[in-house]
This record gives sequence, C-alpha cells and structure tokens, in this order.
Amino acid sequence: MGTSAPLTVEQGVARLASIAGPAYVAVRDDASQTVVVAPADAPQIADVLRFANANGLTVMPSGGGTKPGWGNAGAPDIELKLNRLCEIREHAWQDMTCTVEAGCTWAAMQNQLRGHGQMVALDPLWPGRATVGGIVATNDSGAFRLKYGSLRDLIIGMTMVLADGTIARSGGKVVKNVAGYDIHKLMTGSFGTLGVITEVNFRLHPIEEHGRTWTASARGDSSCAEQFREPLRALMDSQIVLSCVQMRVSGRECSMDVRVAGLPECFDEYAARIKDVFSKFDLRESTEGAWAARQELFERKDALILKLSVLPDEICPLSAELRQWRSESTEISIVAQATGLMMVSMTSAPETAVALLNHLRERLGPSGSSAVVLCVPDQLRGKIDVWGPDAGTLPLMREIKRQFDPNRILNPGRFVGNI
Amino acid sequence: MLTASQLAHLRGAVGDDALITAKTQLQTYECDGLTNLRVVPDAVVLPRTATQVQEVVRMCARDRVPFVSRGAGTGLSGGALPAAGGIVISLARMNRILSVDIPNRQVVVEPGVINAHVTQLVAPYGYFYAPDPSSQSVCTIGGNVAENSGGAHCLKYGFTTTHVLALDVVLPSGELVQLGSPAPDAPGYDLPGVFVGSEGTLGVATKITLRIVKRPEVVQTLLAAFDSIQAAGQTVSDIIAARMLPAAMEIMDALAIEAAEAAVHAHYPTCNGLLLVELDGPRSEVNALMRAVQDLCRRNGAWEIRVAQSEHERALVWKGRKAAFAAVGRISPNYIVQDGVIPRTALPHLLEEIDQLSSKAGLRVANVFHAGDGNLHPLVLYDQSVSGQEEKALELSYRILRLCVDHGGSITGEHGVGKEKQEAMGYMFAEPDLATMQLVRCAFDPANIANPDKVFPRPRLCAEKPGPYTPHPLETAGIAEIF
Repeated sequence: MGTSAPLTVEQGVARLASIAGPAYVAVRDDASQTVVVAPADAPQIADVLRFANANGLTVMPSGGGTKPGWGNAGAPDIELKLNRLCEIREHAWQDMTCTVEAGCTWAAMQNQLRGHGQMVALDPLWPGRATVGGIVATNDSGAFRLKYGSLRDLIIGMTMVLADGTIARSGGKVVKNVAGYDIHKLMTGSFGTLGVITEVNFRLHPIEEHGRTWTASARGDSSCAEQFREPLRALMDSQIVLSCVQMRVSGRECSMDVRVAGLPECFDEYAARIKDVFSKFDLRESTEGAWAARQELFERKDALILKLSVLPDEICPLSAELRQWRSESTEISIVAQATGLMMVSMTSAPETAVALLNHLRERLGPSGSSAVVLCVPDQLRGKIDVWGPDAGTLPLMREIKRQFDPNRILNPGRFVGNI
Repeated sequence: MLTASQLAHLRGAVGDDALITAKTQLQTYECDGLTNLRVVPDAVVLPRTATQVQEVVRMCARDRVPFVSRGAGTGLSGGALPAAGGIVISLARMNRILSVDIPNRQVVVEPGVINAHVTQLVAPYGYFYAPDPSSQSVCTIGGNVAENSGGAHCLKYGFTTTHVLALDVVLPSGELVQLGSPAPDAPGYDLPGVFVGSEGTLGVATKITLRIVKRPEVVQTLLAAFDSIQAAGQTVSDIIAARMLPAAMEIMDALAIEAAEAAVHAHYPTCNGLLLVELDGPRSEVNALMRAVQDLCRRNGAWEIRVAQSEHERALVWKGRKAAFAAVGRISPNYIVQDGVIPRTALPHLLEEIDQLSSKAGLRVANVFHAGDGNLHPLVLYDQSVSGQEEKALELSYRILRLCVDHGGSITGEHGVGKEKQEAMGYMFAEPDLATMQLVRCAFDPANIANPDKVFPRPRLCAEKPGPYTPHPLETAGIAEIF
C-alpha cells in the first residue's frame, strides 16, 4: 500500500476480502505491496472503487497482463483483476451483436462467436491471453482494421464503473444509435484512466470463410520500401476488396502482404488484378502466418517498440527512411499497415534509440502524426517520454479526467501528459 | 435580450453584413426541420472564419449568452432550435472545401459545405463520401457532424463518426483546438468520437477532415414486392444469415409506397411490403450475390422482382425512397417522423404492436425502415385542424419510441435527440448513465452555454448532484437560468 494512505495493508486486505471474498485478495510478494483483488461482478468492482476513492488508494484495472509496459509506469495500491468477469453474456447472432464481459479473453470470445460463423472483426495482439477489457482500454488493432475499422467502429455499447462507484451504461445493443454522448468511444483507448470497463457490446461480422494472401517481395538497399509506394497506391485505388494490407521490413528484405476475402469463384479475378499491381515484383501466394508478423516484433525483449501513426501514403517513404538507421549494431524491423499504423522494433545502443525517437517526433510532429513507445528496454526505462509531445488538447483531456476521477485514483500518471 | 454593447461586439466580430437583428429576418432561423417548436433568437451571426467564430463564442462565454450553431437547418429533432435570448451561429458562409488528398483518401472542409458537394468533388477521382442522409443535397457537413448523420448506406459504410478523422473546434470557452488527427489513433482520449454526435453541445466545428471511400466497380439495386412487411423483413434476416453485407436494405409499407408514388412516380409495385436491396463491389461478386438475394426473395414469396437496369432507373428507385418523408404530406395534412431503432429480429413483433397502437389511436402510421440495421421511421399521420389529434399523434409517436426501447433498441438512429426527444432519454438511460454523459458536458462547457437545454431530459448544471431539485448557485446568483 502506498505511504499516502492512512490504512495499513492488513486493513486494506481485510476490507477488500469482505467485498470480493478472502480467496480473491492477495498481496504481491514484492516491494510494491500492491494488493491484488479479483471482484466477481460490477457491483463488487463498484465497492472496491468506492473504498479506494474514499481512502485515496490508486487502482490499476488489469486483464491478461499482456501490455504492462504500455503507457507510463505506475505503482498502484490496488490491482483490480477482471479475470472473474469472463462470460459472454449474450450472442444475438441473428442481430449480429454480442455482449461480453471485460475479463473474457479475445480468443475465447471469438471461439464462441465462430459457432454461428461470426466474429468481432479485429485481430489484436496475443488474443489467447489478452482480454476484451485490456484490448479496448489500449485500443489495439491489427491488419483487419483496413476493412472493418478500429474498435471505435465495432463497439456499440459499454458498461463501466467510475471512480466513485457509479455503474453506467453507454450506447446500446443496436448498431445504429445516436442517443446521447458516445462515452464508450471516450473509454476506448483511455488506458483505464476514466473508469473500469466491465462489459462491451460489439457489432459482429461474418467470418471470412474464404481468404487468400499474396506476398510481393523486394530485396536490396534502403529504397526497397519506397518501391512499394506506387503499387500500394494502385492497390488502394483499385476495385479489389482488400481485407488486409501490410508491409514488412526486416534485414535486407521488404515485402507486402495482401489478403483478399470473398466468394471462391471470384479469386482468379482478384489474383489477376493483384498480379497486375505487383507486376514488377516477385509475387507468390503465402500462408496466414504472414499476419503474425506484428506480434512477432514483440518477441525481442531487448527491443524498443514504437507505434507510429502516419498518413497512409507515408508508410513506404517513412519505412525507407527508418531503414537508413540500420547498422552493425542497430537492427530495425517494421510492420506497417496500410491504414497508416506502423510498429517498429529497434535494438541498438540506448543513445541511438533516443536519437531515433527524437528525430521521428521532430519529423512527424508538424503533420499531426505521432510516435508512441510501447515497450522500453531496461536500460532506457524512465529516460524517454513514452507518449510524446501534446497536440494542444491536454487541458481539455485533463478536465475530462478531473470530471471522471477527481481524486486521480484510476491509473494516475499512466496516460498522455501524465493524466 | 442582448445589450447594445453586445450587439456592437458581434458586429465588430463578424461585420455588419454578417449580423442579423431584424425580427422578420430572425424568423428564418426560428426552427429547423422540427417545425412545431419555434424560438426567435436575439441575433444571428454568419461568420466566415474560425477566428470570427471564436470572437463570437468568447463574448458568449464572457457574458453567459447561450448560442446554437446551425448548418442548413434540416435537422428533424430540433437540434438547431435557438435558445431563448441567445445567438444563432450560422455556418452557412464557411463553405469552402480546403483540400483534397486522394492518395490518403481525405478531404478537408469547412462546416457549411453541403454533404453532396463532397462526393461531387471527388467523383472524378473515383471516390465518394459515404454518409448519405436523405437531405444530402442541402444538409451541411457541420450539421452531419453534430447529429452523427447516417443514411441508407451506413449499414455497410458506417456513420458520420466513421468518416470524421479530425476537427478544428471552437470550445465553449472560445478556445480553438484540434481534436483527432488526419493520421489514425492520435495519442489521448478519442475526442472526435465524443464530439461527433454531441448535437452542438460541446462546441462549434470550424474545419473537418473527412475520409472518402473508393466508389465500387458496380452497384446493383433490386426491388422486391411482398404481400406483407413480415415477409420482406424475413428476407432481410435471411440475407444477413447468408453472410452478405449489402450496401443498403430498405423496406416501405403500402402507405409509404402510396405517398412516394404520389410525389415522385417512382413506379414502385403496389404491395404491402416493398424491399429494396443494393449490392456494390467488384462485378463478379455483385452478380453472384444478386442471384443469391433474388433466390431468397422468391423463397419468401416475392411476386415481383426488379433489378434496376440503368443508372436512371436506380436513381428513380432511390428518389422514391428518399422522398418518402416529404411525400407523406401528399396523403396527410400533417405527420410526425419518428426515428427508432430495434434489434432487427424484433421487427415482426414491433410492427404488430405499432398496428395495434395505430388502430387504438385511430391514426394511420406509414412505415419506412432502414431494415438492415433495424432503424425505423414510422410516420404518424394526423390532421392538426381536428381538435386533439396532434396530441394523440405525439402520444402515439412517443409510445412507439418506448416500444423500441422495450425491445432493446434506441430512441434515435440518426435524427438525434435534440429538443424533441430529451424526455425520452430518461426512458432509455438510467440516471447514472445520464450523469456520466453530463461529466463530459461539464468538461467541455461548464457554463452550459452551447446549445443548452437539449439532449438531456432535465436541464442540469455542472457540479449539480442528481436528486431532489435544488437551485444551482449560478441560478440563484442570476447568472444561469433553468429554462
């Protein structure tokens, strides 16, 4: 427990045990002495937050624990685990909607939806372990985003618990709905700083039964990423209905993966169109494994991992520019989505990593693009700014935080501008 | 009443030719598409720049003068209804398209740009702007942003919020900020997500970055005639179950068909349930799916199926559908347009209930649906000159909304809450839900001057706790007023 709290750890444990049950409260066996509590439902979460709010204790909601390094580091008094809220509450398959509890893993949810040939059309990182609540709180998205949009386009409603214990709903269970403010959009990507997400309502799509992936490759100097700019433009301007498009840059190789889904009888035509676009490249059909590339970037534990957000047409020239930073001691791998989101993994001397990050932020700043740090190697921890410069809305965001969580108990400091 | 010095300030801010104070001219702005509610504003300003908007809003913030921003005034829920003693900020003169970026599929516009003009501009490049409310030939992007407008094609393409990437917004304090960014996932809270659809209660958008979409290779539109709306509705469910996502699916009942025919001669078949399905995409795929849709129509008893054979035929099909609201004026002296949403599967049950309510009230109800997403537009027909009929019609229309909520739906799919449905918000949402929305309102507009007394069921001031009514300190000090 933090020193600011007048309560002892034992008192805190006792109170939390009376809410969630003694079996669901533990003290972390490290210097932090964070109390970990796993409430059973939203009313218990409300009780935990009311207790924390009244005693000035900080709370970190947690799911599968797959993204501990995302955002600024924190030392919460209470870790609020959502793992007991893991049910799919409703799958209205004929209406193509579902309601899922926040602690449900992404894969468990998708497995159940697949029974009716449906899915939430998003391919986040570590679906086997990451939970719905954690994915929503960090606004993760993958290659499907090109076709289906991001979480803000797929979430139609939400239940959340605010810092003062208020249990509130936003949106609803229908796809089309403009009643009231979309609080669920505000919660999406808010890193648990505004409330604890307990249930999410999604709109669903049919699973892509028939899909094929083609990969175009190029080798050579740093300009090989730039060579994909024209084919990417042609692809995006074509009449091919694309599910996913990503560019992979690693070592001396650059490649572009294109996934198309649709009626099997139409694939020959799609293949011909794609061949036409990539006529100057080595093009072959590849496996679904190509789409794991983004997740594979995170396997290097000593890497600095950045999420770059740029205009879609910028991904090729920027990738080419980033490749120029390669050297004997610096490795750079990139997986860039056609939406303009790029994941960059860099292993290098710490000063090179800092220089690259500073260079990127200077270069991207004026265009409204951004560079956010997702994983920091140990030697850089605490030495770099995770979120980057403010774009001018920080006072407004701080005021929103103040309204929702005036005592700053929810993940204080973790978000942009130390919100 | 605005003071002479306030009027002078406004004149200084926007210029003499952009300030309206004459009563007869002010009356032009006394209502929007919800014409039964009217309030004459104290003044109307027509700024040309964001700086001018800032000047006006700063004065409003300083003097606690309420303001309501307005696009083309086509809204159907009273969102642009002026506030008593307030100013209307008309964005009609901020109507420039600022940039077109085809490689990034983006267009930057001012709020007064007309929806259809965006598509006209990018059509030569093979693109279009997807949200297509029925009023798209006159309504503005700024108004669309306020209402989070939809349209017939949002089943596949999404709503205004799907297509707004960034906005410059004059906050109710007068400060100009950029929400979101042209690149995805700007670090921070999703402020465009909460601003779009906030019905002018969080500020004034002065510049909007829109996403545009590649125009599909082919578009095919089918009309199928059924003996009942239920059969048409079942076909919609079957199409969805067959894992298709048409660009649009619309249903009209006999009364709506009669009205549309009377107005625009769309040559619709005379039937109880008319289904319109539009498919778009690559030619080979659309051809294959259209065959499947026709099979499903036949299986559900469609006795006439027509596929539009030319762009002219297709346009006529849509003209009838888009004219349906206004067309009802041909068969009834007065009518109320409703905008409820239900889970699609509740449609047959809800229609029976509407029938019962309609018979009981002795009033006719015409039905037009965006069937794919469960968005209904029941049109309650009445005659104002018959004593008591308007009240009956309002009551019937409100009861239909409650039915939608009872079936797990919403009180509005695209028209917004505005003034018309603020009480119904209390039926759809519980007090904690509304109090949470109010937190956002208070962060953006603590003085409650931006389109006050809209959206929420009871005017509530910031820092006020729900519970028995107690006068707010601002109210007792005479600074703010509960309208």
